Amino acid sequence: MVSKTEETQVNRLENQVDNGGGGAWEYLCLVRKLKLRRSDKVLKHGLSILNDSTKRSTLGSEEWTLYEQVAIAAMDCQCLDVAKDCIKVLQKKFPGSKRVGRLEAMLLEAKGSWAEAEIAYSSLLEDNSMDQVIHKRRAAMAKAQGNLSGAIEGLNKYLEIFMADLDVWRELAEIYVSLQMYKQAAFCYEELILSQPTNPVYHLAYADVLYTLGGLENLQSAKKYYASVTDLTGGKNTRALFGICLCTFAIGQLTKGRNKEEKD
Amino acid sequence: MGGELRYQIGQNAYIKLILHALKHRSSAVNGVLLGRLSGGDSNPVVEIADSVPLFHSQIGLLPPLEIALIQIEEYYGAQGLSIVGYFHANERFDDSELGNVAKNIGDHIHRYFSQAGLLLLDNKKLEALSKGKDRSPVIQLYTRDSSKSWKLIGDGSSRLTMKEPAANIVLLDYISNKKWQDIVDFDDHLDDISKDWLNPELFSS
Repeated sequence: MVSKTEETQVNRLENQVDNGGGGAWEYLCLVRKLKLRRSDKVLKHGLSILNDSTKRSTLGSEEWTLYEQVAIAAMDCQCLDVAKDCIKVLQKKFPGSKRVGRLEAMLLEAKGSWAEAEIAYSSLLEDNSMDQVIHKRRAAMAKAQGNLSGAIEGLNKYLEIFMADLDVWRELAEIYVSLQMYKQAAFCYEELILSQPTNPVYHLAYADVLYTLGGLENLQSAKKYYASVTDLTGGKNTRALFGICLCTFAIGQLTKGRNKEEKD
Repeated sequence: MGGELRYQIGQNAYIKLILHALKHRSSAVNGVLLGRLSGGDSNPVVEIADSVPLFHSQIGLLPPLEIALIQIEEYYGAQGLSIVGYFHANERFDDSELGNVAKNIGDHIHRYFSQAGLLLLDNKKLEALSKGKDRSPVIQLYTRDSSKSWKLIGDGSSRLTMKEPAANIVLLDYISNKKWQDIVDFDDHLDDISKDWLNPELFSS
């Protein structure tokens, strides 16, 4: 997760680079470190370094890291020719490398050649069945084709092996929510809360799912989780504060009806 | 029996929705339409006067939506406008189906405004916009029929029209100026309450 200070730092640097103030390499390193998706900027500034042989040579062995970064950014921007060129340079430098093989498969994926990409990923998995990135790529590919049940199946299989991968639990939860499978999503968030009990993000998401499920019991626990978010963030989370109001109102509505019935 | 119900969307309402979808290209987004019913029985028109961009993450969750709808209704009610429909843009480019979440939200709005329309972003038309001179909105209209299901109204019927005929030209201008970076939706507002979901600055500068 990216903190507020890191975000302002990266935004300031991006502004500086955009206006020709230098620091392109620092910016690209920071984007990589924080795992941000700013593909158009990475492509533009990365290429400006790669196309300048003096700048490029100062990077030393980091040059190849940049080729990889730009290749992935180019695929995201659908500049497939640029991606292809970067991958070619890497192939020449590292013949037979699995990491470059992964990029080749991703290029097939970016082109929409799903079947060929699938074959490429499968053959890479034969060499190393524990390659986490490839497992994730395959799930992402299913999602990109609109095959959400396939993506769910892939992620569940992945989680049987790599249970501690929190990002994947979160991705799975979000797919469940988009399919309105709230009970399953709640389960994922329970796992996340167990792994990181002090992270308010998961408490909030869990409370939102419980509220969406509805019913007195769920509303009451949703309210408790909103309260814990408020506690963990020192009352600075607006969503949680609104959540408490909504829960209180909904619980009031439900119990009001109930009391009347009892009186009748 | 009166004439067939039509929908007319104002330029600002239209541009806000499309820019919102462009800002969050890699996720599904939604928004709500504000307006009123006019024209009487003989020529009924749902005038969409304004729109509010809602969310770009986790659209299927209820609490943020309820908060947004309560606040939006409160604000626009004072101006005599009410919620008259819903806008949705799918996550994937080649997905042109109306999803279940969108239908459920549409059903909810329908309960309070029975002429409610559901708009879905037409990605292909949006992509072709810069090449052609298409003046029709780059969105598809769905209405709820008597069997309680949402039905696509074909392009040819022109049931959905633009109030200002040059809206697409203005939109293209905004796109080339990267105006979509400035749009604030309800998600942004909930993360940072100083950001205004009414986007008062968007069309002023």
